[in-house]
This record gives sequence, structure tokens and C-alpha cells, in this order.
Amino acid sequence: MRALLATFERELRAYFFSPLAYVILTFFLFSNGRDFNLIVSYLSDPRVGGTSAPLFQLFLGGTILFWPLMWFVPPLLTMRLIAEERRSGTIETLMTAPISETQVVVGKYLAALVFFVFLWLPTVLYVVIIGRSTEVDWGPIASGYLGIFLIGSLFLAVGVFCSSLTKNQIVAAVATVAILLTLFAAAFLEQLASGELWQSIFSYLSLLDHMDELSRGIVDSRRLVFYLSTTALFLFLASRALAAKKWR
Amino acid sequence: MIEAQGLTRRYGELTAVRDVSFAVAEGEIVGILGPNGAGKTTTIRMITGFLPPSGGRVTVGGLDLFHQPSKARREIGYLPENVALYPEMRVGEYLRYRARLEGMGRSDGRQAIAEVLDRCLIADVERQIIGTLSKGYRQRVALAAAILHRPSVLVLDEPTVGLDPKQIIKIRELIRELGERRTLLLSTHILPEVEQLCGRVLIIDRGRIVAEGTPEELRREAQGHPQLLVTVKDAPAEAAEVFAALPGATAVTASGENGRLTIDCEVGHDLREAVFRAAVERGWVLLELHERAVSLEDVFVRLTTRDELTAAAADDDAAAEPPAGAAADDDPAAGGDQEVPA
Repeated sequence: MRALLATFERELRAYFFSPLAYVILTFFLFSNGRDFNLIVSYLSDPRVGGTSAPLFQLFLGGTILFWPLMWFVPPLLTMRLIAEERRSGTIETLMTAPISETQVVVGKYLAALVFFVFLWLPTVLYVVIIGRSTEVDWGPIASGYLGIFLIGSLFLAVGVFCSSLTKNQIVAAVATVAILLTLFAAAFLEQLASGELWQSIFSYLSLLDHMDELSRGIVDSRRLVFYLSTTALFLFLASRALAAKKWR
Repeated sequence: MIEAQGLTRRYGELTAVRDVSFAVAEGEIVGILGPNGAGKTTTIRMITGFLPPSGGRVTVGGLDLFHQPSKARREIGYLPENVALYPEMRVGEYLRYRARLEGMGRSDGRQAIAEVLDRCLIADVERQIIGTLSKGYRQRVALAAAILHRPSVLVLDEPTVGLDPKQIIKIRELIRELGERRTLLLSTHILPEVEQLCGRVLIIDRGRIVAEGTPEELRREAQGHPQLLVTVKDAPAEAAEVFAALPGATAVTASGENGRLTIDCEVGHDLREAVFRAAVERGWVLLELHERAVSLEDVFVRLTTRDELTAAAADDDAAAEPPAGAAADDDPAAGGDQEVPA
């Protein structure tokens, strides 16, 4: 446990020492702020006529604006985690310390997850600011954030897995984006698929639908199971890959 | 303290290390010597548990490295060949991280860090960022990290490579000091280093142990029969004949233009006195008389001389970076990473 915390803390500090993290942070806040602004001005346009969808439902996954951030930010956060250890050779002293592959993977993953949460934290301010001039319904907002957390968890786990396969950060990032986009594409296959079985499979995998549900305030335990189990699966694969690469 | 049995490591087609067995007793300093690409680093990596062997087993202090990895790894301090540190961290910060990784408590860790900072002469750079340090300092930081958790076994892979002569002397002193109370396994291709530091030497070539013993023993073994080098003033013509007739002499050959003779002797015969008396009887003046010493270098060269082509094929880099697709599915220790409770 101590060793796991040690890697967690080291990685978290490493984020704050790396210029890339600040670039991501800036880009993220800028991009999110712009999206929020777009949504607010759209909704306040008298020609739109009232608010059919609440502001935060649109902001938290309700529009396509939301997704690019989810596709590109987690891979940037995770690409370094294991690939860099491998490239620089620090993996040798790390893996000869009394720490298991699982502990290394989980420690690094948690650091990425905490940084991811840290990225989203300032957006809570938007809710607070809007809340001063109008009523906000905190329930759906909370479940919307839960959705972001769940999808982020899965995406970061995919990223950690890809980072464990290579010593090249770029390869890790590109592979992660490829997997995430493939996963995301399942949402569109739902409409194209023929046969009820395939439709229900793709519907179960549809991240769009999941996020839509959650931002409306519907928390379905099947979704929780889906995200927790796939996240665990990718982390397990990452730890196996880390162990297997020692086999080379 | 360290016991390796039948260690074998294959990278696909290439066998980097083949059936290597040896033991290092407590408190011993053992050197692994070999040309580049002989399999030194691969052997070392298997001893430290970084690389699972394709065959054979390693125990450290009686603990199997692949069945009780956490416990066994705690016994080992390891300085890899390519000293790799996190460049963005400060020295003190890195050592604190290592202490926690080794499972040391806060106060215990703090005390150990103070000790190694002092020991490895890096107290003055404790607050410096590792990326800004010179190679010599980085080497010492890595060494400090290796001995931080007070391991009973220390494994050093080419600890003086890439350092300037002054730094080399410092590191060697430190190694000798560390070896006083620890079991030490040291890989190098620098011969004087072995002579200076090691009580026992393993010579590895093409993945096998080709010789083993104290530097003294290896020299004696390689020497075979003793040879005397003799130079007599004015080089009298009958000198060769006279010396050849001495009991115990097998052959006399002239070498060089200055009348130097090489006398081959039977094993166990020291002919120096006889040569001296023979010369004095005839009124010759001896300018030179000594037994040729075989250096460890001679031993090394004799044991490891080989075709350059095979040398290239088994290059160390090839071992560190096996060809893509080098499958590792044949490992008997697969899945052995789970710790088995003792």
C-alpha cells in the first residue's frame, strides 16, 4: 500500500512539474468555457424560444462539443505514465523494487484520475455562477458529473493500457484515441445494425446514450457496472502487459 | 547469499545466457567479467528479478525471486547499467520516493536518507533537480537509492562506465567500503577494477561461464607452465644450450634482437636460482631474470577471443533490445509473479 501511494504521489507531482499538464489545463478550460458560452448564448436567444433542455444537461454531454475533450484529453494525460518509464529505463529500478505490476498500474492510474477530476473542478464554478441568478437543479448536475467521472475512468484506463504496451508516448496516445473513437462509434452502429440482438448490444455500449441518461439525472446501475468492469478490465490488461514485457 | 541455478535466457532464436550457475557467499565481492555482449547484463537482470529467466532459478538469502518477489527484492539493492532517474525530481525528493517504494516508514526513511546522502557524498545536491546534475553525481544518487533500504545484497552493473578518472576513483572507494559489510555482485569489463575490488571472478563469454576463481587462481590456471625471461650481457652463443640443459627446462627460444631468451619450464619448477648459478659459473653478466607474470588481461583475452561475427550477433544491445516478436511464452515462471506466502 505504501508503495502504491508512493507511485501515486510521484505521478501526481510529475503532472504539476510538466509543461504539458499546464497546456492541457489551459486548453481544457478555454475550450470548456467557450462551449459553455456558446450554450448559454444559444439558450438566451429569444428566437430559440424557451429552454427545452436545461442548460447543464446540454453542457454535461448534451452536445457534440463535449466529446472532443473526452477523446483527446485522457490520452494526453496517460500517454507518459508507463511508456516514459520504459523509454528512460527507470522501469528497471521501479520493477526491481518490492512493488507489484498491479500496484504500479493502479498508482499511476489514480494519479491520472485525480488530475482529470482536477481539470473538471473549475467548471463547478459555472454552476455556482448560474445558480446566483436562477434556480439550478443539483440532482441531474451531480449525475452528469458522475457520468463524466465514469467515462473519464474508462478512457484513462484505456490510456494506461496503451501506455503499458510501448515505450513511445506518441504511439500510446494515438492508440488510445483510436480505441476511444472505436468505442464511441458503437453509438452510431446502433442505428445501422440489423437485428435486435446487435441493436441491443450496441445500445448497451453507446456512450452517447449513457451520458444522455446521466445528464438527465437517470442513474442506472447497469451503467455503473459497465464502467467499473471495463475500467477494471483495462487496468488488469495493463498490469499483465507490464508483467509480460519483462518476459521479452 | 545469491544462488543462481541453471539460468538460461532466450530472446526468440537467440540464447543470450545459457545454463549459468553460481553462488555468492555472504560478504563476498564477486565480479562478473566479460566482453560486451557476453550476457553480463542479462544475467544481472535475472539476478535482480527484472527479467524472468527462460529456465533455472535464483534465490537471494534463501528467498526465491519469482515466488516471493517482494521479500526477495527487499534484500537486493540494484544499480542498473544505464542509470535512469526522473529528471524533474529533486535528489531528496527522489530518495524519499524510493524509501516509500521500499516500504520504509517515515522516520526510518528520513534517517536512511541522511545516511546515504552523507555516504555517497551528495548531501550538497540534496535540493538540486536531478536533470541538472553531472553524470558522476547522478551515478552517486542512483547508488544512494540502491543502498537506501539497507539491502544485504548489492548488485552493480558497470558502475564506473562513463565517468571521469577522478569520479571512477571515488566510486571505487565507495564500492570497496560498501563491500565490507555486504554481499556484492559487480559486473564490469574493466580489468583493473576486478583486480582491485573482487575476491572472486566469473568470466562470462557467449552466455556461459568460461572460468571462475580468485584473480590469483585464474592467473595461475591460465599460466600453465612458468616461463623465465633472461637476458645475458653480450649474448654468448652457447647460452641457449646451457639453459636448455638445466633440469626442469623444456625449451629455450630467443626473442628480440637484444639477446633475450625465453625459457619454458616444467610446472612446479622455479629455475631462477639455477639460471643464476649457471650464469655465474661461466662469468656471464645477467641483465634480466624474471618470471613472466600472466595478467588477468591475458586470461581474459585467451578465454574470450573469438570470431568477430559471432560477437556482433550476441551484442549486448541485441540482448537489451531483442528483435521484435521475440516471444516470451516459453517461460516456466509465467504467472509466478504472485507472491506465495512463506
